[in-house]
Amino acid sequence: MLNDVASVTLSTALSALAARQRVSANNIANLETPNFRAGQVSFEDNLRRAVEAGEPAQAAVTLTTSTAPAGINGNNVSLDTETLIDQKTALQYRLLSGAMSSKFGLIDTVLKG
Amino acid sequence: MSIFSAISTSGTGLSTFRTWIDVIANNMANLNTVKPTSEPAFQAQYVQAQDIAGRADGIGAGVGITALPASSAEGRLSYQPNNPLADAKGYVRLPDIDMAEQMGNLIMAQRAFQANAAVVDRARDTYLDAINIGKNR
Repeated sequence: MLNDVASVTLSTALSALAARQRVSANNIANLETPNFRAGQVSFEDNLRRAVEAGEPAQAAVTLTTSTAPAGINGNNVSLDTETLIDQKTALQYRLLSGAMSSKFGLIDTVLKG
Repeated sequence: MSIFSAISTSGTGLSTFRTWIDVIANNMANLNTVKPTSEPAFQAQYVQAQDIAGRADGIGAGVGITALPASSAEGRLSYQPNNPLADAKGYVRLPDIDMAEQMGNLIMAQRAFQANAAVVDRARDTYLDAINIGKNR
């Protein structure tokens, strides 16, 4: 029932956003850890290509290490960037979870008749 | 991966930076701790931390304290002949703590703690959204 492209795209995007938020939490926890390199999650391009191919579940979520220049202690976490990413991810998650709810609402309408 | 892992990741940050603040508070409290020259000086403590490797998905699980190294036991000698702890030449041993360094570290620890507390807030909002999927709004 929920195997349509829109639903699968939404759930793929939601889990990728959750992963991004965990990476952000880890980066901020390691704000002062010497020689720590920030992690980054990217999935949007993969998801777009996967949706175009009609297989949104195949979209890969990739975790890479940031190549931003490191400070004197070998750490390259930037607090402002991470806060921004975290905040943005939280809002995107809210948007997509709302869309998911609307999707369920449609089914609810059908079920109630 | 535990169920609310973003919150537990930030939790490791909170406890690490809280410990750092505790250690700095203890160092500052002992800024003027006098010891006789026959004993080691009060040794300032430092926090040594390392990131915690994540599980299968490769996302790290936060930060943890690995050691609390101490500074030199030699301290610095101060000429205080009237001090009851002074040796025959009139010297006592004071800890070699740089107050400016400690204050700088304190601000770093405090700001990092605040940043982690803010992440807990945002992660909580996100998990609430996830819990509310499917509820009519």
